[in-house]
Amino acid sequence: MDPGARGVKRAVAALVLTAVAVVLLARYETQPPVKPPPPVKIARAPAQKDPHVHTGTGPLLTTPFSSIQVRAELTRGRLTGVETLALTGADAHTAAINARAEPILREEALLAGNAEIDVVSGATYTSESWIESLRAAMKAARRG
Amino acid sequence: MGMPVRVDVRDRAAGLAAVDRVFAWLRFVDATFSTYDSQSQISRLGRGEMGRSDAHRLVNEVLDRCEELRVATDGAFDVHAPLPGAVDPSGFVKGWAVERAAALLEQGGERHFLIDAGGDVVLRGGPWRVGIRHPRRRDRLAAVLELHDGAVATSGAYERGPHIVDPRTGGPACGAQSVTIVGPDLGTADAYATAAFAMGERGPAWTATVEDHAAMTILPGDRVLATTGFLRHCAGPSIAGSLRAREETH
Repeated sequence: MDPGARGVKRAVAALVLTAVAVVLLARYETQPPVKPPPPVKIARAPAQKDPHVHTGTGPLLTTPFSSIQVRAELTRGRLTGVETLALTGADAHTAAINARAEPILREEALLAGNAEIDVVSGATYTSESWIESLRAAMKAARRG
Repeated sequence: MGMPVRVDVRDRAAGLAAVDRVFAWLRFVDATFSTYDSQSQISRLGRGEMGRSDAHRLVNEVLDRCEELRVATDGAFDVHAPLPGAVDPSGFVKGWAVERAAALLEQGGERHFLIDAGGDVVLRGGPWRVGIRHPRRRDRLAAVLELHDGAVATSGAYERGPHIVDPRTGGPACGAQSVTIVGPDLGTADAYATAAFAMGERGPAWTATVEDHAAMTILPGDRVLATTGFLRHCAGPSIAGSLRAREETH
């Protein structure tokens, strides 16, 4: 990684470690251009200011191809909105790269589903009986 | 090790000898590293009854690796926290032991298998379908991954159990309901999951900076933050898409 990019990485890490959480980061993929997901919009400020909502704007970070600046909104300490303020590039090459940029972290809904699987990864429920787990494990081992 | 271990071997020529060696190895790990056994080397090290120079080569290997992980996680994974003098490498040992168990099976000629150690999993020769546990509905899944080789580790406090401690405060880690890490080796994935969980709300952003690892964090309020690498492993176009049950029957 060249010193400029390393500097950018450090600046981004510093941004993350402050109270403002960066969710959208530009990343360049060697894939056909895909439509980037719509950015999470910050709700327009209501007439009365909510004392629990705090916004912070990160520094303007410059990469070899573009500039990016992110504003994050926290409500009661929880990330409730992220907006990319600036994603600029002068030429067609930069525009093409920007079109492919996708967030490193993406938000999804939590669903409770069922599917055919070979194994489950998870922590244990504190109220789970150890014996019950062992019994199930031995049953699975004998079946295999 | 205090939790059931299941070995699922799919090779036709699978013999039981390699599996026996796996369980013998895990018993050795338990006897050497268990913090619940007052006579284990790790317990005696913690009490100052023995020093690092007297300890087994593998104990030193583990503690050296744990120091590397403490630095890599900015102190969120720390075997010496929260009490001074404490030595508890359990958050790494389990995964490390299972990785070495996988190596034993490979030495025995096995190529297609998985080892499930209490929800932390090593996979070889897939594709394997790995479900990620839902944090509150114990009979449901939050996601399904399709992986060929590698490791999946999940740290969680589904019933708000305070057993995971934030080394920096000494108190229970609050924040995420669970963190799942996918990576090339289970020891590291285990430690990263423990660390990311302890980081609370800073966890997801940290996981996005870790090279060669994918992550999914389930936050309070049921928000899910997943790295794009994690989404690529999903058995479907998205996390929700991965949950649709298979249409075909066997």
